[in-house]
Amino acid sequence: MSPNLSPAARDVLLAFADDEHMIGARHAAWIGLGPFLEEDLAFCSIAQDELGHAISLYEYLTNDVDHFALLRSPDEYRSSWLAEWPCHQWNESLVRHWLYDHAEALRWSNVEHSSVDGLGMLAARAEREESFHRDHAEMYLSRIADGDDQGRQMIEQAIAELLPVALGLWDPVAAEPDAIAEGVMAASSAELEARWSAAVTADLDRWGFAYSWPTERPAQSGRTVRSCHFPELQASLQEVIALDPTATW
Amino acid sequence: MMSPAKSWSDLEEFQAFIDHGGPQQSPGIVEAGDDMPEEYRNEVFRFIEFHANSEMMGGLTERDWIPRAPGLRLKQIFLAKTQDEIGHAHLLYMVAADMGIKSRREILEDLFDGRSRFHNVFHYQAVTWADQIAIAFLVDAAAFASQRAVFAECSYGPYKRVLKRIIAEEGFHMRHGEEMLLRLSNGTDLQREMFQAALDRWWWPSVQLFGPDSPPDDNLLRWKIKSERNEVLRHAYVQKYVPLLHGYGFEIPDPDLRHEDGQWLMGDIDWEPLKATMRNGGPDSARRIETAARNWADTAWVRESLDAAIARRAA
Repeated sequence: MSPNLSPAARDVLLAFADDEHMIGARHAAWIGLGPFLEEDLAFCSIAQDELGHAISLYEYLTNDVDHFALLRSPDEYRSSWLAEWPCHQWNESLVRHWLYDHAEALRWSNVEHSSVDGLGMLAARAEREESFHRDHAEMYLSRIADGDDQGRQMIEQAIAELLPVALGLWDPVAAEPDAIAEGVMAASSAELEARWSAAVTADLDRWGFAYSWPTERPAQSGRTVRSCHFPELQASLQEVIALDPTATW
Repeated sequence: MMSPAKSWSDLEEFQAFIDHGGPQQSPGIVEAGDDMPEEYRNEVFRFIEFHANSEMMGGLTERDWIPRAPGLRLKQIFLAKTQDEIGHAHLLYMVAADMGIKSRREILEDLFDGRSRFHNVFHYQAVTWADQIAIAFLVDAAAFASQRAVFAECSYGPYKRVLKRIIAEEGFHMRHGEEMLLRLSNGTDLQREMFQAALDRWWWPSVQLFGPDSPPDDNLLRWKIKSERNEVLRHAYVQKYVPLLHGYGFEIPDPDLRHEDGQWLMGDIDWEPLKATMRNGGPDSARRIETAARNWADTAWVRESLDAAIARRAA
């Protein structure tokens, strides 16, 4: 835990940590069920990386990562709806992985020169991992784009479902202006969103997937409102640790 | 440089090679490209297919509790462990497919259609987090002992080489199981009760994993796929794990278990549960196979799309 962290830095890091935690947990649920064995192994590694990022970020905020990560009340989380989304079908998980990792890479590069001690080094390590994650998503989607009509339709369905949800990734926490002023992060979420939108649309156009850019955004209210899927996710995350929060598992 | 393919005129000559056809009369090693007897090819293939399916279904047994892991590092650890199991399946399916009997896809589809078999322990459901620990402690240890006995003298080269890596990872899993059990045994009353209940569920399936006593004319022993008889491995397992579990303060669910002449002797083993699992009729067989089969069907579009992309790029 970093005792000298400002409230603004805490808010920004909490939102990032919760996103990494939820996305790692959601990706992890695919273990054993990937569409083929090589993919199963690859996606599981990505899930482990994201959980590792979550742990490193939570360590700025608490000395007890597990209790903090798993046992807060829903209104204390700052995850985006995209990270909370269940994505029970592979097309949804794959598209979410591509949208999220594009955004994640931008978020890490945005804290490369952060005023928060050690965050730049963490960002450098995470960016190396993220470059593999992005390559994985892009190579995969580009091949499906070259494949059959069914595959393209599955991806287009998932894009239509998830693109509006993904805009919530750029919903800033209330203290973001202060965090920028303190040098915690460089660019605003709005600036990052513009870069992300350009990269995402460039990919979609290059691959030839049909899409329409969403006009509505999830009603996250500065990430203070949880998605309708959060209760189910949190119940699962807490199921064992809540049996006896004093125990060492 | 690859050695030229070997061939044998009859089973007698093949047996002589298996027994002492290697350098300095050591046991001979058969390679994938050799003209091996069909009986050997079929027997080894069935054994590796069973092992591969067991790694795959073992991964599915353990996956149920990963979302509910009581900590982020624990979730990473159990993910990595299950990833190892799926990775073992991946390696073994490649070794099996190279034998030219079934493709990897055919092997998987036989598994998901309920036409092939896998280890008895993976026909049971992990019903609490403590079951996850019992699997890591009891099942991984049983699998480790069993695989190490195969590796010791394994006559099929590709399998032996893959087993070297698998055993290294399984040894790590076993240590992980011990550490996890240590936490529960030093934990709260609830944790200890949970583990005792899990032990009650997993002890007998773990012991049964070694199988009934080996038949006197076991081809797997004769052809050095296995190096030890089932009952010998089972006995050694019991000698090690009974005192360990007693040491942690847990009771073995065997009222006839006794210590005589320096040895732990078990009560009679009921083999009916094992036989049921071999017919895919275990307590959780239907759900386990159905989950895998449904997922395989649901993700068929991915494989078909990627195949179409490869065909298009090749055209």
